[in-house]
Amino acid sequence: MTVRATIYSIFRGRKLATFGALWLCVIAIAAIGAQFIAPFDPLEIDPIARLTEPGLPYLFGTDHFGRDTFSRAVYGARMALIIGFGSVIVALVCGGLIGLLSAYFSTLGHFLMRIIDVLMAFPALLLALVLMTLLERSVLNTVIVIGIVYATTTARIFFGMTLKLKNEVFIDAARCSGASHSSILFKHILPNLWSPLLVQASFIFAFAQLQAAALDFLGLGLPPEVASWGNMLAEEKIYITRAPWLLMFPGALIILSVFSMNLVGDAMRDSIDPRFKNDIAGV
Amino acid sequence: MADQPLLEVKNLSTHFKTKSSASFTARTVVKAVDDISFHINPGEVLSLVGESGCGKTTVGRTLTKLTQHSIGKALFRGQDILPMSQAQFRPLRREIQMIFQDPFASLNPRLTIQQTLAEPLFIHKLVSSRDAAIQHIKEILEKVGLDASIMKRHPHEFSGGQRQRIGIARVMIVQPQLVIADEAVSALDVSIQAQVLNLIKQLQRDNGISMLFISHDLGVVRHISDRVAVMYQGKIVETANKHDIFDNPQHSYTKKLLAAIPKVPTYQGALSHAT
Amino acid sequence: MQCGTALILGLKTILQVCSVALLELDNLNIAVASKDKLLPVVHDCSLSLAEHETLGIVGESGCGKSLTALAIMGLLEGSQVKITSGSIVFDGQNLLEMKPSRRRLIMGDRMAMIFQEPMTSLNPVYRIGDQIIEVIRQHRRISNQGAKQRALELLELVKIPQPEDRINSFPHQLSGGQRQRVMIAIAMACDPALLIADEPTTALDVTVQKEVLDLMLDLQQRTGTSIILISHDLGVIAETCNEVAVMYRGRIIEKARTRQLFSHMAHPYTRGLLASIPSVVTDTDWLEAIPGRVPTIDEQLSGCAFHPRCAHTKTSCSQTEPPLIEVQEHHAVRCHFAGEI
Ligand SMILES: Nc1ncnc2c1ncn2[C@@H]1O[C@H](COP(=O)(O)OP(=O)(O)OP(=O)(O)O)[C@@H](O)[C@H]1O
Ligand SMILES: Nc1ncnc2c1ncn2[C@@H]1O[C@H](COP(=O)(O)OP(=O)(O)OP(=O)(O)O)[C@@H](O)[C@H]1O
Ligand SMILES: [Mg+2]
Ligand SMILES: [Mg+2]
Repeated sequence: MTVRATIYSIFRGRKLATFGALWLCVIAIAAIGAQFIAPFDPLEIDPIARLTEPGLPYLFGTDHFGRDTFSRAVYGARMALIIGFGSVIVALVCGGLIGLLSAYFSTLGHFLMRIIDVLMAFPALLLALVLMTLLERSVLNTVIVIGIVYATTTARIFFGMTLKLKNEVFIDAARCSGASHSSILFKHILPNLWSPLLVQASFIFAFAQLQAAALDFLGLGLPPEVASWGNMLAEEKIYITRAPWLLMFPGALIILSVFSMNLVGDAMRDSIDPRFKNDIAGV
Repeated sequence: MADQPLLEVKNLSTHFKTKSSASFTARTVVKAVDDISFHINPGEVLSLVGESGCGKTTVGRTLTKLTQHSIGKALFRGQDILPMSQAQFRPLRREIQMIFQDPFASLNPRLTIQQTLAEPLFIHKLVSSRDAAIQHIKEILEKVGLDASIMKRHPHEFSGGQRQRIGIARVMIVQPQLVIADEAVSALDVSIQAQVLNLIKQLQRDNGISMLFISHDLGVVRHISDRVAVMYQGKIVETANKHDIFDNPQHSYTKKLLAAIPKVPTYQGALSHAT
Repeated sequence: MQCGTALILGLKTILQVCSVALLELDNLNIAVASKDKLLPVVHDCSLSLAEHETLGIVGESGCGKSLTALAIMGLLEGSQVKITSGSIVFDGQNLLEMKPSRRRLIMGDRMAMIFQEPMTSLNPVYRIGDQIIEVIRQHRRISNQGAKQRALELLELVKIPQPEDRINSFPHQLSGGQRQRVMIAIAMACDPALLIADEPTTALDVTVQKEVLDLMLDLQQRTGTSIILISHDLGVIAETCNEVAVMYRGRIIEKARTRQLFSHMAHPYTRGLLASIPSVVTDTDWLEAIPGRVPTIDEQLSGCAFHPRCAHTKTSCSQTEPPLIEVQEHHAVRCHFAGEI
């Protein structure tokens, strides 16, 4: 199937999902062209213009340091994409491999999946907090920690799907042709998991945003100087009565983005291979 | 050497341990195949018949080492294949091939026909270049009655009969000695089934292939085999020349099986059921 | 007294003569809605079934056998499959013009159906007894005790050993053959006038198949139910049916009494089908297979549906579709050259 046909089959007749996809495009453009779009330096402090109300030239107003909220929001989009893509890669590579190998080699699976079970017993946020306290605050560490948290669910899902695929007749046929383990795993099983993989990625992307925002808010996520939506919420929370726009804009951005990603994820899930529809229940 | 059987199975048993529904710890043993012996001579077709669940598929899967947990011996050209590791067995996979029942499930939906057929060629190093592989694939496709132009297509674009031809091509392309066909035509429509049966019989004769033909359809079995082994609850109850089985069955289960087959009247034959 | 009996007998004969046909399909057309057009899947299907008769419908996978059966049962409601024209007359009433609520009263009561898969057509979470009782109480005003009594009788009728114990079993505790017997018991619960069996034995072993088919014929002897038996196995049809309809690509291409059909097959497809089956009684070295493959429903074909695979094709075959014509009494064939080849 061509890319175009795939996209058409995902979004055809799904208005909300199309809206979600468009919103994500806006975020992506903001993230990529942040230095051209943002009218001010997001870190530039202007003590005179502290807590200005939204208007011109400060579209979203300014914070208590006098930094332009709009510019910070635009750079926040960049951070959102970095966190999203980073955690997706970590989660899919680690979780996907663990799930795939555990299902295929059952002895290894007994061992690895028990560890995954233990990790999954912790609520996601608690696990992230524990891991973050062990590491120092940085973009890379945040990405790794969120990635690991979602690697557990990813591993579970891939474990189930690989178990199912492993018993398909065409895998037996490949074994009868003399195919090696790696050839079976990566040539016969993995390509059949591409579409569920994409759907899973979209859900992780969305939940990573919430997770990152929560960590920032609790002061354990990205370093405070980084312009991210979560940090904006965390820093300005005491001004909620005096300058509510400081919380409204980043809050709305987080909600809208997570919602959009979930909509796109749902649409993708509904249009994929019916065999796996019930396996992917989100993260 | 000439009259040595190609495959000789001695006291083969395959038992599965399954969780019992009675309690969490209790395990029951399913004796899917229980102490069976048979042999297949070079160029001969042995059919394995019997009711559903009697262990036919398990025999086939044990001989292709898709199922472990077996005891006994299976001598392929005098060499016991059962204790071999998968790596030791890999070179022999070229010679022992399997045709599967379900033509819709036995081809990887993501691979093109060319990729599917080229895989065994490269694994067993039968060709050195891509061009040689394509040449081979063209030849085999012609042999199974398919056009060479289909190479770039995916399995979902084909009908059941065509897919089964592709499955047969994948088996024949490595020039095997022994083919295990597990209900190879059961999933096909009658008119297509006849085409595929003709094809299998022709390829088997032309290449002098030995075959273990697993089936529950006794008409098909009579058509294709030289000898027949009747299985019942994991055991072989009768093995004989096909004429002896059909015209002079000895075991009571064989008799019952033969009596149960609905007979298609021929033009001359009388109807068994009064209308 | 004698006079009364004679009168009743006389009335019965008259009634029988009047209602020879229990079921009559007239030019039934069924189409599947796909994307933006209707794909016809069953064409001009005309059948009639008399009381106490067994009609076999035989044909290859996808030729429309099940759809015809589902149309008779009224189970196409709400799916993307639509009846586009024709009529289904059952007991003198046109089912297609009947209100759905009235039709539901007939389903399961006057007509019943057995499906192919004995594994999936019983609900796994209910005891088989409860499933039988439910059907009985849907159609009969009867106490729970009475229904249970009837369920026991039915299980006995379908020869399930120890029905008092088995009535409390769950479906997974029964073998495939036993499950299919329970399905028959459910279908027979209200003494239907018409029983439609859609490949009732395809999933079963030959030995079990024989038991199930014998059971169905035995029940027919006792209750006088008419049966439509759908199968792709000519052998099954030959051994159980009085009448046969052969379908190919949504059309009935040959229809005859069983004896007639097997003594003189007129359509090249029917002959090809018979020649394709390897015999268990004689040795065959080579099978006369029909060349080509079964066309899919969305392939456009003009003229006779079978002409691309037929050995006797002439130019007119690809131009006009042959009508179903009677070559003998009770023997109709859809072929331009039925008499000649
Ligand atoms: N992997 C397994 N684990 C446990 N039991 C198994 C397994 N595979 C097969 N069995 C059991 O072994 C028995 C024989 O099964 P097998 O599939 O060999 O029968 P078969 O003769 O091929 O039947 P069919 O005609 O239905 O294909 C059955 O009772 C089955 O339930
Ligand atoms: N719900 C449906 N939606 C779309 N197409 C359908 C549907 N049901 C049946 N069809 C199509 O209608 C055609 C006839 O189907 P039907 O189920 O009647 O075949 P059949 O003769 O019973 O075959 P089989 O022997 O495989 O049961 C098939 O080509 C099938 O693909
Ligand atoms: Mg089997
Ligand atoms: Mg059907």
